[in-house]
Amino acid sequence: MKGALSPASGAAPHRAARPAWRRLRLNWRTMLVVTLILIGGIGMIGPFAWAVSTSLKARGAMLVLPPELIPAEPTLEAYRQVVSRFPFFRVFVNSVFVALATVLGQLVVCSMSGYAFARLTFRGRDTLFVLYIATLMVPFAVIITPLFIVVTTLGWTNSYVGLIVPGIFSAFGTFFMRQFFLSIPRELEEAATIDGAGTLTTFLRIILPISGPALATLGVLAFMGTWNSFLWPLLIISNRMLMTLPVALSTLQGLYPGQTQWNIVMAGTVLATIPTLIVFLFAQRWIIEGVAGSGVKG
Amino acid sequence: MHHRPRSSGPTSPALRTLAVALALLVGIATAQTTVNYLSFTTGSEQLDALEALIEVFESENPDVSISYNTADFGSYFTKLQTDFAAGNPPDVFELNYENFVTFASRGTLLPLDDHMAASSAVDDTTFYPAALEAFARDGVQYGLPITFSTVLLVYNQELFDDAGVAYPDDTWTWDDVIAAADAITDAPNRVWGIAQPVQFWEFYKTAAQAGGGLAVAPTVQIDTPENREALHYLVDKIQVHGVMPSDAEMSGVGDIDLFVNGQLGMIVTGIWMFDHFITNADFAWDVAVEPGGANKATHFFSNAAVVANTTSVADAAWRWVEFLAAHPFTVETRIERSWELSALSLDNADALQPYLDRPVPANRQAVFESLRYAVTPPVVDNQPQLEDIINQELEAARLGLKSVEQALMDAQRRVEALVAQ
Amino acid sequence: MYERGWRRYAILALFLGPSLIGMLVFTVGPIVASFGLSFTNWDLLRPPRLVGASNYAAMMTDAEFWRTLRNTLTFLVGYIPLVITSGLLVAVLLNTRIPGMQIFRAMYFLPVVTSWVAVALIWRWLFNPVYGLVNNLLGAIGISGPAWLFDPNWAMPAVILTSVWKDTGFVMVILLAGLQGIPREYYEASSIDGANFVQRLRFITIPLLAPALVFALSISLINSFQVFDQVYVMTEGGPAGATMVLVERIVRNAFSYSRMGYASAMSWVLFALIFATSLTFYALKRWRS
Repeated sequence: MKGALSPASGAAPHRAARPAWRRLRLNWRTMLVVTLILIGGIGMIGPFAWAVSTSLKARGAMLVLPPELIPAEPTLEAYRQVVSRFPFFRVFVNSVFVALATVLGQLVVCSMSGYAFARLTFRGRDTLFVLYIATLMVPFAVIITPLFIVVTTLGWTNSYVGLIVPGIFSAFGTFFMRQFFLSIPRELEEAATIDGAGTLTTFLRIILPISGPALATLGVLAFMGTWNSFLWPLLIISNRMLMTLPVALSTLQGLYPGQTQWNIVMAGTVLATIPTLIVFLFAQRWIIEGVAGSGVKG
Repeated sequence: MHHRPRSSGPTSPALRTLAVALALLVGIATAQTTVNYLSFTTGSEQLDALEALIEVFESENPDVSISYNTADFGSYFTKLQTDFAAGNPPDVFELNYENFVTFASRGTLLPLDDHMAASSAVDDTTFYPAALEAFARDGVQYGLPITFSTVLLVYNQELFDDAGVAYPDDTWTWDDVIAAADAITDAPNRVWGIAQPVQFWEFYKTAAQAGGGLAVAPTVQIDTPENREALHYLVDKIQVHGVMPSDAEMSGVGDIDLFVNGQLGMIVTGIWMFDHFITNADFAWDVAVEPGGANKATHFFSNAAVVANTTSVADAAWRWVEFLAAHPFTVETRIERSWELSALSLDNADALQPYLDRPVPANRQAVFESLRYAVTPPVVDNQPQLEDIINQELEAARLGLKSVEQALMDAQRRVEALVAQ
Repeated sequence: MYERGWRRYAILALFLGPSLIGMLVFTVGPIVASFGLSFTNWDLLRPPRLVGASNYAAMMTDAEFWRTLRNTLTFLVGYIPLVITSGLLVAVLLNTRIPGMQIFRAMYFLPVVTSWVAVALIWRWLFNPVYGLVNNLLGAIGISGPAWLFDPNWAMPAVILTSVWKDTGFVMVILLAGLQGIPREYYEASSIDGANFVQRLRFITIPLLAPALVFALSISLINSFQVFDQVYVMTEGGPAGATMVLVERIVRNAFSYSRMGYASAMSWVLFALIFATSLTFYALKRWRS
């Protein structure tokens, strides 16, 4: 994928030979494209900017008509309110912990099961694999009721375990890792086998060290999925101290019945979005390539 | 990942689980009897108050410790039902009147009559009679009322003065409300006469005010002439008289906010809002018993503490229920923290006097006077669905998608189908 | 596999065991249970009661179910063409040789990585009829905007627009990857032939992009049958049921009404819809090749 966004190198000399008027047209067209992209980009960034602007307003300023695009008297009051009336830091740590633990679990479990389906031979392997794939087609809504009962029976409601464990055993992760392992040339492992290494040693010493990119992509997808997951934590978590960010955020709007605290709600939204933004900026490449390759939105 | 030693990945979650399990074991080992309590109290101030109650209870009952858990009202009953399904319900839990029926009729609650007869702290005369009766079924007492609250007409005295309208009093009827609201309304400047939610709760009460009422047994009675009159009263304030803001006019700004901003002459709301108004309203306001139509009728909300019949610590559980319902410290704390009111008999005037002594709103007596007209909502096995169906039809009428007549006809038909299930 | 005898089984158990047990307990088990439950009535407080196919029969005469289904399809019909068109447009624009394109790409992708709850809250505020930015901007150009989420006719369009805004970047990324697989020479040749932008889009880009388009389309379809988060936060199915959708009703039946059997039956109807969609796409792919 590297360099995929830069122009194909073969075209460059071709272009240099063009007459000047052609280049001019290209520039005019470039300007148009850039303008269109910018207009669209403002449409994408604008709502976030509006959220930030609202979060910096005092209660009264929020309900001024016409709305002030940039607050005349910016204040951090809304942020103080969010942090003081809501265990925001705790909720943030919950989200980080749950997402990281799920990623770790998924990487361990799925890389091993993926390897089993790619390289180990046993009776019924392909049937079993088809079964794994088949579960991918079943929407979450189908399993949610029994899953809820399973997790309640295990006593896992209002616990980290209940948030993490059901997310670890991903059929998609198994499928994704299997496809990657299949793309590794068999010769690598055969060489190790000749040296007398067992399956486990081969997996740990030969296969895992070259699986970095695949693990990173799966990890990033799993992280995003868990970080933004809403319905499941909404159902099993009622204790405020164990809520994850999306659930905590959704309760902000109902925290004050009959009252509008849009500046506070927006402050919460901004606080919850900043970590996503930072992770995204650092892991942009993996995230975008992972999504493009798998069609998984997380 | 692959740089790490092999063992670190799989064991760390396991270790964490082990640590949690150990912590739990230690917690259980240090107390002789633990009573698990589930409540739908979630506000942070109320939770502080709850913890204060637990502290006093535990110091008076050193052999018992209370372990509480909360869920907000939206998910509370699901959690409770799954706890029952999974076989580990809390020992003591909170129930409102509507859902009490479901739990009592399915035999999940412990009868409390013997405990009550043996008690030195509470008897039949301790509580407000309607509240105590609400939590008995077929002559068996399954719960003690721990709180009650009522709904009143709250009004902005300054807007009344500006419009030259006399303040509401006990003699007021619907017509007076609409006349006053009409005088106050100034829609272009976003000021309206009244806000009264058009939903299940308001509707069953208004229906009773009209001389009708909602009933589901022995026959479903929703689409009746009186109830149509009641729903007309609710939605005509928006659609005919224009004295109440529509959804679009409210624009997501809550009615409570409109009132505090001085944009509402009157609001029909509960006594639980008093403190919010005291802190945030910078105008004079007071309360009155709600005006009626043909009759007077008011809300009566009450919550009880009940004991699961599977509990192994019935005696300790009862002591906690008793404490929550009528212990002087509880009564005092609830008044002090404005955390609803203990459902004590009005003969216990002494205990409630501190509540009446508070200066604002001046007419606090109306809170207790309202009890004289209290009506309770219809209750079915599947209460949330009943409320959703009626709310959907009321919303359609409120938004003008259906006529009042059509909405009630549809509600009648759908509730009949629900009851037949 | 190198190992023999019992070691072989030990290795298999080590590699596959955890995943297999987890899949059984948290996925396959619940799938089977859900299918079983759909033939029972269960309120959690009393034991489940077998009722045959009566949950499915009840659904056929339940006006609310049909309304829900209709709303879900309305969402799909509004959302799919818009999101595919806007995603394609952005992808084509971004597939240009301009420095700094990665920054723009990130800009369009930001809503995709933001949690649905955050996005829904922001748009609820943007769509506020009186104080919201949308209606104030419309007002500035002389249009009196609707009440959006408070108007039964405009609530679903608002939810659709919000979803299109959030997912444009997602479709764009898939299509951009597809576009970059189209050999540059095709365009070079066509510009020598004097083809304009629209002609090139029509005769080169779209035909060669077909596999990526089908991929984006099928995923968007499957996801839109399961629309939930935005509806839950923005409207809770209102006003007056105008945005009730399948998953929202399943969750409500199961977790507010304690109608576990009915909710399960509904979820299997959802599955059937998704299955039929996947099958159609599969057949289409076979037929093309």
